[in-house]
Amino acid sequence: MIPEIGQLSLIFAFALSCLLALVPMYGSYSGNVRALLLAKPLAIGLFLFSATAMACLMYAFYHSDFTVINVASNSSSVLPWYFQLTASFGSHEGSMLLWVTILALWTALVALFSNSLPLLMQGRILGVMGFICVGFIAFSLFMSNPFERSLPFFPVEGRDLNPLLQDFGMIVHPPLLYVGYVGFAVSFAFAIAALIGGKFDSTWARWARPWTLAAWLFLTLGIMLGSWWAYNELGWGGWWFWDPVENASFMPWLVGTALLHSLAVTEKRGTFKSWTVLLAIAAFSLSLMGAFLVRSGVLVSVHSFASDPSRGLYLLAFLLLVVGGSLFLYALRMNAVRSQARYQLFSREVLLWGNNVFLLTATLVVFLGTLYPLFHKELGLGSISIGEPFFNQLFYYLVIPFSLLLGLGPWVRWKQQQLPPLLKPLTLVALLALTMAIGYLAATQSLAANLALLGCLLGAWVGMSAIGEVYQRAQQLGGFSTGIGRLQASHWGMTLAHIGFAVLVIGVAMTKTLSVEKDVRMKIGDTVELNGYHFTLTDVYALKGPNYGGQAAELEVYSDGKKVTHLHAEKRFYPLQKTVMTEAAVHARLSRDLYVALGEELSGPSWAMRVYVKPFVRWIWLGGVLMALGALLALLDKRYRRASAHAEVKTRENTAAYTGAEHA
Amino acid sequence: MRKLMFFIPFVLFIALSAFLFSGLFSDPRQHGSALLSKPLPAFSLPDLMEPQRMLSADHLKGKVYLLNVWGLWCPTCNAELGFLTELRQQGIEIVGLYYVQPQDSAFGETFDLAALQQDVAKKLAEQGNPYQLNILDEKRSLIFDLGVTGAPETFLIDAQGQIRAHHVGDINPQNWPALAAQYQAVVQEAQATGAGGQQSEGATNAP
Amino acid sequence: MNPRRKQRLMAVSAILLLLSGAVGAMLYALNENVDLFYTPSQLLEGLGEDKVKPVPGQRLRIGGMVVPGSVKRDDSSLKVSFALADTGPTVTVHYDGILPDLFREGQGIVAQGTLIDATNIQATEVLAKHDEEYMPPEVAEAVKGIKHVAPKYTYPAGTDASAKSGAATTEAKTTDKPATATEGGTQ
Repeated sequence: MIPEIGQLSLIFAFALSCLLALVPMYGSYSGNVRALLLAKPLAIGLFLFSATAMACLMYAFYHSDFTVINVASNSSSVLPWYFQLTASFGSHEGSMLLWVTILALWTALVALFSNSLPLLMQGRILGVMGFICVGFIAFSLFMSNPFERSLPFFPVEGRDLNPLLQDFGMIVHPPLLYVGYVGFAVSFAFAIAALIGGKFDSTWARWARPWTLAAWLFLTLGIMLGSWWAYNELGWGGWWFWDPVENASFMPWLVGTALLHSLAVTEKRGTFKSWTVLLAIAAFSLSLMGAFLVRSGVLVSVHSFASDPSRGLYLLAFLLLVVGGSLFLYALRMNAVRSQARYQLFSREVLLWGNNVFLLTATLVVFLGTLYPLFHKELGLGSISIGEPFFNQLFYYLVIPFSLLLGLGPWVRWKQQQLPPLLKPLTLVALLALTMAIGYLAATQSLAANLALLGCLLGAWVGMSAIGEVYQRAQQLGGFSTGIGRLQASHWGMTLAHIGFAVLVIGVAMTKTLSVEKDVRMKIGDTVELNGYHFTLTDVYALKGPNYGGQAAELEVYSDGKKVTHLHAEKRFYPLQKTVMTEAAVHARLSRDLYVALGEELSGPSWAMRVYVKPFVRWIWLGGVLMALGALLALLDKRYRRASAHAEVKTRENTAAYTGAEHA
Repeated sequence: MRKLMFFIPFVLFIALSAFLFSGLFSDPRQHGSALLSKPLPAFSLPDLMEPQRMLSADHLKGKVYLLNVWGLWCPTCNAELGFLTELRQQGIEIVGLYYVQPQDSAFGETFDLAALQQDVAKKLAEQGNPYQLNILDEKRSLIFDLGVTGAPETFLIDAQGQIRAHHVGDINPQNWPALAAQYQAVVQEAQATGAGGQQSEGATNAP
Repeated sequence: MNPRRKQRLMAVSAILLLLSGAVGAMLYALNENVDLFYTPSQLLEGLGEDKVKPVPGQRLRIGGMVVPGSVKRDDSSLKVSFALADTGPTVTVHYDGILPDLFREGQGIVAQGTLIDATNIQATEVLAKHDEEYMPPEVAEAVKGIKHVAPKYTYPAGTDASAKSGAATTEAKTTDKPATATEGGTQ
């Protein structure tokens, strides 16, 4: 019964999304105010029905209703209840429904928080959102129905959730990632609404900015969690793999970052207009393309036979319609728009333009690396894969100039900046960064001309420069102690995000250079030494969990004769899914991780063990969290709440015909 | 000029879509047909239903047939049973090669022939039995020699015991005509050489 | 040409120059890092119509079945070697490290590494693949609702659902890493 209610809700949601796509758009063409006013209730109804559908699916999972194929294939009655709930978006069908629900949530939020927007703009934005909803709900309903029953025959037990997904990281990772992906739909809808209206003043950018920030915030957290999850669950201490699934989320992030910066220019200076619109389209297009690449199976290796052309075809057609259509509209409308603002070569505009160039080059690198195997295969040149060194090498070359510019950026004024006033503080910052980086490395690690040194230098430069700039700005605002309180939240946000980037760069460079990794064969009682840490294998014994069996290893870690910690690593066998999982033991400190994973049992008896010491690996995720916090701070800035009020007055599109509706 | 510039993203995207479209339909299963026109590898394996009876490549010589690799564990294989049974009724000869999945002691699995026979008999009774006989490849040796990478896969074997076609994935009404044409060609070839073929075979065997 | 135009022209040509340079460098790096995929027979006979054989020292990926009985382990270290085959010829893969969890004799694997000589490969990474079934979508559709009685003979008491039965193996999990990537080499 409950799954049928879910199915019905989804059908209602589909109907509402169709109405949402059509009615306000009709209103915006015909000038029908009532049609425009319908957008808001439609959007909210759409969300309520999608959320009901998702809740019904979760209910079916929670109660192990194996008559639903999706439940039978992805859950089991021995699964703990919280994994039963998260299994509801562990499958293709379920994740699609989650995607739909989140899209509907964003649509409803836009409807609720855009009261101050001109009615016409509001209607167009929600219409575009509605159109995107139509596409995804139709996909969920007709191509991958999560509620499909298997009556009259149904299994007594489910096939269990993929053990890789039975982890806390996986509970939160997909929803966060989707919130981020789908959030760019809002920026996209703003851009398309502006294109339809043909008006590109800075108010457009001001409206779109908080939404973009919110999407970016969640995408950042989602990617970070994914990386953290891979580190803990895949059992070999890697935190980024450059695999197509990851790249699919990284590309929208890069473009989204560029969009955030470009929006700032458009808002503050009224220039870069066509560029910003293009980025808003690109960020969402790449999210869509990510969905296509991951779900259609085009990118899966030659060894995967399990792809589904009809789903892929549908997504491609939808992609073509949405992205192709919007780019066509862009081409038609944008050539009429001209920027009036003037700026000099040394100005914040140009530096932010540099930021965009580097971020887009990085996107191009990821894009080429991800799709090149496909091109290669299509051109009949054989199956290939792109090695990790390609990405690492090119990102290495990109990060250096990017970081140097990033340190400089916040100091430079809009329009025009004279160099002399900056020389003194910047030299100071550079010297400080130099001493800190070299001093730290010389004192604690080995000092050598390597990536670790370079990373620390760049990180210290970016970090110190961000702090120095805040100090200077505070002094300009009436002395340090009073000025610091007058800084806007968005300024703090920017500073924090930049510091986060610095932390990330330091973390990556240190981990890459200074990690010590050993795969060893150990008997009980054996000791290995890494970086001054002595790891002793004290015991290995059989393991029995609710839905798995396996082995567990106990290790003691000593350093300088003192006990550091006790480690417990597991290897789990999941019989229902016939899968093996490695649960690594991690002892985390800010300056290093001790990482042990249990491998196979060898003759002896002895065990293959992975023993790693990974300095600063925490900094990578810490950096990501700081960036996300920065976005959150910026989002709390008062001016976004005020901005829309101003915008209302400014927009000339509010012709007399609509003003009545505005006040209604 | 300036106007055209704004079309660049659109054009690039359309080009990309074309690529993605062709990528969607490129067949990842194109196989290196390394075994085509080579004889079926030598084997000596038991009949699934009568394990005391050993089968070898020679048993099957002299007729044209499809060698179908399948297993109960594979839903796709089970789904094609119905269509294959129809083919058998049309006079197509089909020999099954039963693919036993590796038994993983780490998961406490063991191989139980009696239970397997029972399950196979039940399944074939339910879904139709397309097979003249079933070769049991418990250690996956013939499967290995044939370069089978999954199930179902089907080989077309001619009267001389040579592999003439290798089909990966299920056989269904959509893709059968192509294979059927090859099958008919091989059958006609066998009829053309007819008795002569058997004689020459006898001649080569005699000395 | 007025100075503003001139400036703009300079800027545009500088951008174009930089852009083409960057794309060129990228494509060069891309070609440097391409790992061709071979099967053991392709490795020995050459790839494609021109029968191009890899040269020793070349990085490549090779996929095939682990020949049963060919896995040789060193008693005191993690060194291991095994033969890999698809149809006929075998090549030997050498590896020093932890094999993937689902590495089994007679199963398919993909190894990434460098060619030592014509038939030997030093692997830096070994991935297990364990999906042995082709599942076209129509079949996935068709078997939904039919195939639910799991064969009981392959599983220990208490669990009676088969890992390989059931219909919905079609889609890779949308959010996870490929299930095969459980092992990796040095970063």
